[in-house]
Amino acid sequence: MTILTRLEHWKDQGAISPEQEVFLAGLCRGEPLSLFLELNVLLYAGVLAFVAGLGWTVATWSKQLGDVLVLAVLSIILTVCFWYCFSRAPAWSRAQTPAPTVIFDYVLYLGCLVWCLELAYLENRFQVLSGQWDFYLLATAILFFFLAYRFDNRFVLSLALSSLAGWFGLTISRWQFHQDATYRQCALLYCVVIGIGAVLLERRGLKPHFFGTYLNIAANVAFWAVLSGMFDRQGSWLWSFALFVACGASLAWGIKRRQFVFVAYAAVYGYVGFSWILLRNVNDATVAMLYFVITAVAMLVALVRIARRFGKSA
Amino acid sequence: MRIYSAASEETLRARKLLKDWHGEGLLSEAQYKLFEQETVSELRTTNVFLRIVLFFFTLIVVAAVGGLFGVTFLRGSSDQTLGIFLVIYAGVCYWAAEIAVSQARLYRYGIEEALAVCSVVCLSLGILLAFFSSYWGRQSGIRSLVPAAGAIASLWIWHRFGLWYAFPSAMVFALYAPDAWASSPAARHVLVALLYAIGLICVIAVRSRHRLDYLERDYSLAEAFLWLGIYLVLNLQLSSLNLRALWVVGGMGAASEFPGWFYWTTWVLIWCVPLVVLARGIRQKDRFVMAVGTTVLILTLVTNKPYLGWPRYTWDPMLLGILLIGGALFIRRWLARGPGGVRAGFTAARLSGKDKQWLNATSAVLGLVTPQSITSSPQTTSADFRFGGGASGGGGAGGDY
Repeated sequence: MTILTRLEHWKDQGAISPEQEVFLAGLCRGEPLSLFLELNVLLYAGVLAFVAGLGWTVATWSKQLGDVLVLAVLSIILTVCFWYCFSRAPAWSRAQTPAPTVIFDYVLYLGCLVWCLELAYLENRFQVLSGQWDFYLLATAILFFFLAYRFDNRFVLSLALSSLAGWFGLTISRWQFHQDATYRQCALLYCVVIGIGAVLLERRGLKPHFFGTYLNIAANVAFWAVLSGMFDRQGSWLWSFALFVACGASLAWGIKRRQFVFVAYAAVYGYVGFSWILLRNVNDATVAMLYFVITAVAMLVALVRIARRFGKSA
Repeated sequence: MRIYSAASEETLRARKLLKDWHGEGLLSEAQYKLFEQETVSELRTTNVFLRIVLFFFTLIVVAAVGGLFGVTFLRGSSDQTLGIFLVIYAGVCYWAAEIAVSQARLYRYGIEEALAVCSVVCLSLGILLAFFSSYWGRQSGIRSLVPAAGAIASLWIWHRFGLWYAFPSAMVFALYAPDAWASSPAARHVLVALLYAIGLICVIAVRSRHRLDYLERDYSLAEAFLWLGIYLVLNLQLSSLNLRALWVVGGMGAASEFPGWFYWTTWVLIWCVPLVVLARGIRQKDRFVMAVGTTVLILTLVTNKPYLGWPRYTWDPMLLGILLIGGALFIRRWLARGPGGVRAGFTAARLSGKDKQWLNATSAVLGLVTPQSITSSPQTTSADFRFGGGASGGGGAGGDY
C-alpha cells in the first residue's frame, strides 16, 4: 500500500480532512517541490567562493592595489554586512529566533569571513600586535560569540569555537598525535571551559539549542586529547583511566538524554584506545586477530542491545 | 529479487513521512499516534549513528575472522590459494548478509550492509589474486574480469539490498573495465561514457514504472550518479586529474593527451550535458538530478578557462560567488512572486523539517572547517613581505599558532 493509498484510506475513514489529504498527497507527489535546501546551499557556496576570491585577490595584488584601497574595500564590505545585520535583526530573545530575511545568515557569514581576512591583512602588513596572533584569535572569538548569540547563528558559533580553540593553542583541523603534552593540556582546558560555559548558558536559558554544538565539539576534542595521551606511552595508565571516565560519562549522557551520537563516541574512541593499550605489546598476529574477533563481536552484541532499547528515536 | 517486500518498504516510507509531517505540524498528535499504529513494520531499523558504528564493528569482525583464518591455515600459501579463499569468504559474507535480513529482519542496520560490502570487496580481491596475480594474468586481455565482477556484484547488492552507495561503487568498478579493451586514453573515455550512457538508458526506462513508490528515490539517485559520471568522464580537465594545470598554471593541461577533435568535442559536451541534466531534473521534478545538473554547470564554469587555455584570474571565484548568490536570489524571488509562492510546481518555501535539520547540522560542521579552507597559508614576518593569503585571520584557528 503506497502512502497515497493510505492517505485516501485515512480520508475515507475520516481520520484526516479532505483538505489535509489533498495537501499531503501533493507533498508526496512533489507538488509543489521545495527548493529551500538547494537555494540555501547555492547561497552558502556563493559566499564561500566570493570570500575565497577576495582573499586570493588581496593576497596576489595587495602591492599593486595599495594598503589604503585594500583596507577601504574590506572595511566597506564589513561595515555594510554588519549594518545590514544590525538594522534587520529582530529584538534579541533568549529562545531560538528565525532569521528575519532570506539572505540574513549569509550576509552575517560574509561579514565574519571578511573580518578574518581584514585582521590577517592588518597584522601581516603592519604587525600591529607584533605577531601576537593569540590576541587576534581571542578578540575574534569574543566577537563571534557575541554575533552568534545576538543573531542566533550556529555557523558563527562554530567559527567562535574554532577561534577560541586557536587561542587555546589548538589547531583542530591539523591535529596530530605525538605532539607536545602542552597541546593536550590546552585541549582539555578548552573542553572544560566550553563545557562549563555551555552548561551555565543552558541553565540560564540563553539559546539552549546551542548546547548540542558545544557538547559535540567538547566531546570530540576531549576524546582526541585523551587518545593522543594514551598513544604517547608516557603516563598512559593515567590517560587510560581518563578514557575510561570519558567513555562512561559519554555513554551515560547518551543513554540518559537519548542522544546516540554520544554512545557512538564512547564505543569507537573507547574501543580504539583500549585496543591500543591491550595490543601494543602483542606481536603474535593470531592473538591480535582473535582479540579483534572476540571484542568486536562483544561490541556488536552490546550495541545491538542498546539499539533495541533506543529503537529509532535517538 | 529484492530482499525486502514492497509492503515493508512502503510502510517504512510512510512512517518516515508521517514523522516529518508531524514535526512540521501538518498532523495533530492524535492523528500521528493513530497512523503510527497503522504503519508498524516488522523490519528492524536504527538511527544513523548506531548504523555507522555497527557498520564499523562488523567490518572489524569480518576482517579479523578472515585474517585469523589466513594466519592460522593459509600462512605461506600461494596467491591463488588466498584468492580462492577470498572468493569463498565473499560467498560466506553474502550469505551472512542474507541471513541477517531474512532472519533478524535488519534494515539499514549497519551489520547487513557491512557484510554485503565485504562480499563485494572479497570477491574482487579474490578474483584478482586467484586468476591475475601471475604474469600471464596481467598480460591477458581478460583482466577486465576483476572490475566487471566488482561492478556486477555491486549492482546486485544495490538491487537486492537497496544500498544507494553500491551504485556509485559499481560505477567506479566500471571505470576500470575498459582498460584492457582500449589502449588510447580517448577510447577509454568514450567506452566508459558509453557504459554509463547504457546504464542511464536502462535506469530511465525502469524508473518510469516506479513513479511515486518507494523505489523512486533509489532510481532517482542512480540516474543522478550516472549523469554525474558521464559528465566527469567527458570533462577532460577533471577526469585527467590535472589539477595543477587547472588551478595554478591555468593552461590547457589535458589537451596534449588527447586528439584535438576529441578534446574540442568534449568541450562542447561539457556545456551541453549540464543543460540537458538540468532540463530533465526540472521536467521530472527530481531534486537529485537537478542538484547534479547545477553542480556540473558550476564545474563547467570553473573548468572552462583551463579548457580553453585562458589565464585564470584571482577574482574569478568572486565572480562565480556573485553569480551563485545572484542566481539563488533571483530564483527565490521569482518563485515567491508566483501565486501562493509557487511557480511551475516549485516553491522556495521550506516544506520539510529535514531541510532545516540538514542546514543546522551542516552549518555547525562547516563553521569549524571553513576558516581553514579559505585562509590556509602560513604567516611570514619578513620586511618585504607580500601578503600571504590571509592565513588565520581569527576564526581560522590558524596555521602557525
